[in-house]
Amino acid sequence: MRESASIVEIWVYLSGSPLIALFITLAAYQIGLWLYQRSAQNPIANPVAIAVVLVSVVIELLQMPYRTYFEGAQFVHFLLGSATVSLAIPIYRGIQHLQSRALPLIISLVCGGLVSILSAVGIATALGADKTLVGGLYSKSVTAPIAMGIAEQIGISPTLTAVFAVVTGILGAILARFILDALGMQSWWQRGFAIGVASHGIGASRAFSVSPEAGAYASLAMGMHGILGAIAIPWIFHLINR
Amino acid sequence: MIAGLVQILFFQGLGELISKFVFTTLPGPVIGLVLLLSWLMLRGKIDPSLALVADGFSQYLGLLFVPAAVGVVLFLPQLKEHAGALISALVVSVVLTITTSALILKLMHREPKKDA
Repeated sequence: MRESASIVEIWVYLSGSPLIALFITLAAYQIGLWLYQRSAQNPIANPVAIAVVLVSVVIELLQMPYRTYFEGAQFVHFLLGSATVSLAIPIYRGIQHLQSRALPLIISLVCGGLVSILSAVGIATALGADKTLVGGLYSKSVTAPIAMGIAEQIGISPTLTAVFAVVTGILGAILARFILDALGMQSWWQRGFAIGVASHGIGASRAFSVSPEAGAYASLAMGMHGILGAIAIPWIFHLINR
Repeated sequence: MIAGLVQILFFQGLGELISKFVFTTLPGPVIGLVLLLSWLMLRGKIDPSLALVADGFSQYLGLLFVPAAVGVVLFLPQLKEHAGALISALVVSVVLTITTSALILKLMHREPKKDA
């Protein structure tokens, strides 16, 4: 009797502090990373996806409402802004690759980005998905931290945007090889850039594991898409949703 | 490392201010990113403590969006209802995007093939 009461007290004390939410988040991500390494970096074993599933299950079991969890985990969430700013460093390194290839790269990015939005939004709308969900698709090919910033600016759920961005990244990382082989793409920089345009950081880390040149171009595409997307996507969104 | 963090927070804050008062459609951190990028290009080098912080962030970038992504639990009924539409949209879109970007590069850039 006495003992169970004190366990309840401890539980009440702990669930009021951010400690539990932070612990669950970091532990789940650590397990995700471990599984990702164990699977020889198979894109299906994406650490973010694994962490999201684990955290969702654990807070469900603890009967912890999402709001309570987020209040604790917001310390991790807060760093997103700083992480976005620090993307300037990989972009700066990537810009040295631009050289004479700037024009084809920019055109490839703009067309790829437009196709990404129009095809996803078009198909989801045609198949009857509701507006809230479709809104999350606009910045799915932009790196998640920037995509979430864009979503906030245009009044769309950052959560859905992040989830669609992660799924897109995983799909791109899995499918890119087959698509690019089918198209007969031979140069690494072209392969890498196309992966980066479509599937941002997750695609880029896949590209790095195949060829450093492809990886560098994929990161460059991710950075350029992030900046251009932040400027153009709100505008495209308002144009389509007048 | 602290020096790098100070620079990043400085540019982030500057970006937030500009986002609030000047370019209201752009997210503050993206403006901060562009400012920091311009600063790096102006200086022509990255100092080691900044590189250290940035590499740390990019190594564990995924961790930072876990808390927001877990919010997906709130959307599960909606997502289930429209799962077919969303999965088709995501898969077809990623295939078309990669195809478009790749073909444009291939068509626009005909350089002598280097067989290795």
